[in-house]
Amino acid sequence: MPSDGKRNSRCTAMQESDHLFEKVLDLSENGLFLIDSERKIVLWNEWMVKASSIERDEAIGFTFSEVFPALAGKRVASVINAALDSRTASLLSRSLNKAIFPLFFAGGNGEKHRIEQSVTVKPIRSNGDDYCLVQITDVTSMVQREEVLKVLAKEAEEALHAAEDVSRFKSEFTSTVSHELRTPLTSIRGSLGLVSSGVMGALQPEVNKLIDIAYSNTERLLFLINDILDIDKIESGNMSFVMEAVDLMPLLKQAIEANQPYGDQYQVHYCLKEEVAQGIKVHADRDRLMQVFNNLLSNAAKFSSENSDVEINVIQKGGMVRVEVKDSGIGIPLKFQSRIFEKFSQADGSDTRKVGGTGLGLSISKAIMEMMKGAIGFATEEGKGTTFYIDLCLYDAEKVT
Amino acid sequence: MLEINDIQRDYITEVLNISMGSAASVLSEMVNEEVALSVPEIDFLQRNIAANKFDQTSESKMSGVTQSMSGALSGDALLMFPEEKTLSIVRILLGESVSVENLTEMEQEAMCEIGNIILNAVVSSVANILEQEIVSSLPRFIKGTGKEIYAVDAGNEDLVMFIKVDFGLESQSINGYVTMMLNVDSLQNFMTQLDEQIHAI
Ligand SMILES: Nc1ncnc2c1ncn2[C@@H]1O[C@H](COP(=O)(O)OP(=O)(O)O)[C@@H](O)[C@H]1O
Ligand SMILES: [Mg+2]
Repeated sequence: MPSDGKRNSRCTAMQESDHLFEKVLDLSENGLFLIDSERKIVLWNEWMVKASSIERDEAIGFTFSEVFPALAGKRVASVINAALDSRTASLLSRSLNKAIFPLFFAGGNGEKHRIEQSVTVKPIRSNGDDYCLVQITDVTSMVQREEVLKVLAKEAEEALHAAEDVSRFKSEFTSTVSHELRTPLTSIRGSLGLVSSGVMGALQPEVNKLIDIAYSNTERLLFLINDILDIDKIESGNMSFVMEAVDLMPLLKQAIEANQPYGDQYQVHYCLKEEVAQGIKVHADRDRLMQVFNNLLSNAAKFSSENSDVEINVIQKGGMVRVEVKDSGIGIPLKFQSRIFEKFSQADGSDTRKVGGTGLGLSISKAIMEMMKGAIGFATEEGKGTTFYIDLCLYDAEKVT
Repeated sequence: MLEINDIQRDYITEVLNISMGSAASVLSEMVNEEVALSVPEIDFLQRNIAANKFDQTSESKMSGVTQSMSGALSGDALLMFPEEKTLSIVRILLGESVSVENLTEMEQEAMCEIGNIILNAVVSSVANILEQEIVSSLPRFIKGTGKEIYAVDAGNEDLVMFIKVDFGLESQSINGYVTMMLNVDSLQNFMTQLDEQIHAI
């Protein structure tokens, strides 16, 4: 038999631990209350007293719906029932439930602010009795922080839109200006051509020389403008393609013939070595393919040594046809190779370089080849020469229709 | 390998559909939009197969909500969506445009609540079939690849109960996947009780 003294001390120990337990709950930064299976509130912490202005003796011993009559039938009441009856835990988020309990904190100037809350409801079983613990977290500052973040995100998005507007303006500007330049330049070139041909009367040799310089510079400007317009179309996705069956050999021969006068300027001769069967057809846009041929052929002449040959080979492999343009010129420096298909990139970017050009040709050619589901590439050795090649899809009538 | 026959499947589907109906009405009221939930498919699958079922592969990113269960059954209940679908659900239900790749804390919490409502409905259906108590924990937001979430390593042949849930929202319908990861004893227990109930009808 334990002595009375011992029992007493055990009682006080229990009371003290209860007391300590209550103190801990009162120090909690969260609202806490406990409901028993009869829906009566059995615990109500200090946070709840402050935020709800309901004193402990006005809550403990009363049912949940007596304390919060306005919440009867609401979701919070049904999840409390579920916790007590079927032991499920629930979460009531602040986004989907606006201000669940009528709770307020006092602002600096005596004003009251509603507390933004997220609420959890958990079942507890102790000595065979079921309880439900309701825990309330004040998320007001979190809500404010996220609102600030949302405003910032929105501003960032607007800034992005503004930047897109600027770039759209820039591209519209480029294309308008280029079109506006092209018309007068074309007419200047025409007039200069007429003058230099002598139909307007013979010219002094010095004047003729000047006219020729003016003519070739006008032509250069026109090429530049056409290239810029093409780049603009590529970048805005407006370059249109008419894909059809193109008879390859006649087109290639036509390109070679058309470029021979340019080749003559560098004393370079184009010769078609390897050919495929006449009548072979590739799937391409005729004009765009011509543009690629023109660029590769003119590059080969420009960057070749004088009195050399440029070899053109056509090879069929499987469903593809490869056209190679092989020169024995200066080659492409290793450190430039990775940038060669970028726009405005030229190995010799100086003002003093010997040959003309804009550095746009290869970047346009690459875009065209990709759009036609083909490819472009090169092999080169400095001082020895360069071979550029393009791969084209064989026209397969069945596949296309 | 545990097999489920048509009668068993029909019975579970029916019980689940009833509780999905009440979960749907809770959700509809909360978001002021008609939400319909139904269970079109139930299966018992191996974990590694379940991990592949979400999307094309177990490497696809998913996110969702998990709760643990104890009592008559022990294990985890998960509600998962392909990651971009989670965003659409939050977007539709909260009426907010979530432009950022990541859900904010508040949005994750909202997702947890939605998952909580659905998982509690599933867990309570299962408890009804068992006629026993299952205690569920609070929901937690999770994301990762199917493989990570199902903790599948080669050769993990544990069975899971795999439930496809159809979220019919006004603007679109989104498939979510509920899985109950149960240990083998729990699963056996569940099947025995299920058969008893079917017999009783
Ligand atoms: N066949 C070639 N041999 C050596 N360098 C070449 C050859 N083709 C092109 N390049 C280099 O690539 C640059 C870009 O070519 P391209 O884009 O056609 O512009 P452009 O011909 O207007 O200079 C050229 O300036 C040149 O430096
Ligand atoms: Mg060029």
